[in-house]
Amino acid sequence: MASLLATSRHALARRSPIFAKSLVSARFATTQSDALYVPGGPIYKGTVNDPTDFPTPSRMHGSHHWSFERLLSASLIPLTGAAFATSPSVHPVLDGLLGVSLIVHSHMGFDAMLVDYLHPRKFPVLGHVATWTLRSATVGVLVGVYQFNTNDIGLTELITKVWSA
Amino acid sequence: MSRLPVVRLARQFSSSATRALATPVGQKPVLNKEFKIYRWNPDEPAKKPTLQSYTIDLNQTGPMVLDALIKIKNEVDPTLTFRRSCREGICGSCAMNIDGQNTLACLCRIDRNAGKDSKIYPLPHMYVVKDLVPDLTQFYKQYKSIKPYLQNPNPPADGKEFLQSPEDRKKLDGMYECILCACCSTSCPSYWWNQDEYLGPATLMQAYRWIADSRDSHTAERKEVLQNEMSLFRCHTIFNCSRTCPKGLNPAQAIQRIKLELAAE
Repeated sequence: MASLLATSRHALARRSPIFAKSLVSARFATTQSDALYVPGGPIYKGTVNDPTDFPTPSRMHGSHHWSFERLLSASLIPLTGAAFATSPSVHPVLDGLLGVSLIVHSHMGFDAMLVDYLHPRKFPVLGHVATWTLRSATVGVLVGVYQFNTNDIGLTELITKVWSA
Repeated sequence: MSRLPVVRLARQFSSSATRALATPVGQKPVLNKEFKIYRWNPDEPAKKPTLQSYTIDLNQTGPMVLDALIKIKNEVDPTLTFRRSCREGICGSCAMNIDGQNTLACLCRIDRNAGKDSKIYPLPHMYVVKDLVPDLTQFYKQYKSIKPYLQNPNPPADGKEFLQSPEDRKKLDGMYECILCACCSTSCPSYWWNQDEYLGPATLMQAYRWIADSRDSHTAERKEVLQNEMSLFRCHTIFNCSRTCPKGLNPAQAIQRIKLELAAE
């Protein structure tokens, strides 16, 4: 009997407007405190039930980029050997090829770091500054290596000299 | 509880022979171990997260970390909050970082070295809802984005089921077992830095599970959406995912297979 009384009292309380009000205010408080401690927190696009979206498909940024990166890395090994084997020659084609490949290889490596850590979507100013700094550095190094290869002894011979020095 | 007295006795011998002899049969020696557990309460947002220390008797606890957590919640501190459901490694609810490794608390044995404390944190680099409960909304939204269901507008003529050869079915082994506990994704540094765009190992392995399925006819579309800088190619073959997977799966291999298939197109 007592338990029945308690149950009905509970049921009554559930229907009473006072209880309903406290429920609403509790909910309101939760939403408010949510807003309070999530600044800088997750900002979802759409509702929680919407899937995330994908960037526009582009093979140049996807599989072609990846394949080129791998092929370049793999071909650098025989290229380095060949450039050193033919080092002091009159037509330093391999020397020049090695210079360009090394620079492109390191450009792609640094670029991957910038995409990982300084992507413009998170760093709208610093990201772009870093990307353009890298690009200008790569162009500068390309020009420098070209000058060095045509007007001076060239990359491989320099390394050979330093190695045996 | 229903263990044979002989086994119980043998266990006592293995830990400390003299003490086991002095103890009456049926009563285990006390083996206290300290658990340091990450606590953060959303109701006190200004208070910084802390490590709270709990000491429990391992001989009065089940063998797994989840047993210890349940014991702490039942007997010491009912405010400790964590997710758990199946207690046998099939639901993926109790994924957390135990002693520096993402794993399921229900599959992780307690280190019985009482001299060393055990540190338990929520899954790393996720927003925390409370204590050991991470916010997995983004993870689930990403999983939804790869359309993890069979897409084939041409059902078989007899109107029954899509048939598959045993060889084709075999390709799905090691991928369909994934329980989406998020241990692998939250162990991946690339996912830590770019989880708003990079899908992460768990979702990518499920993407490949549907690419590899011979019954699915939308393979080209599934591959096409991954052709960008962020979704797939932020994987730098770090292999934390395969190392941490509590189910022993190999998400890194699945990701490499997607990359190869995209490159071969």
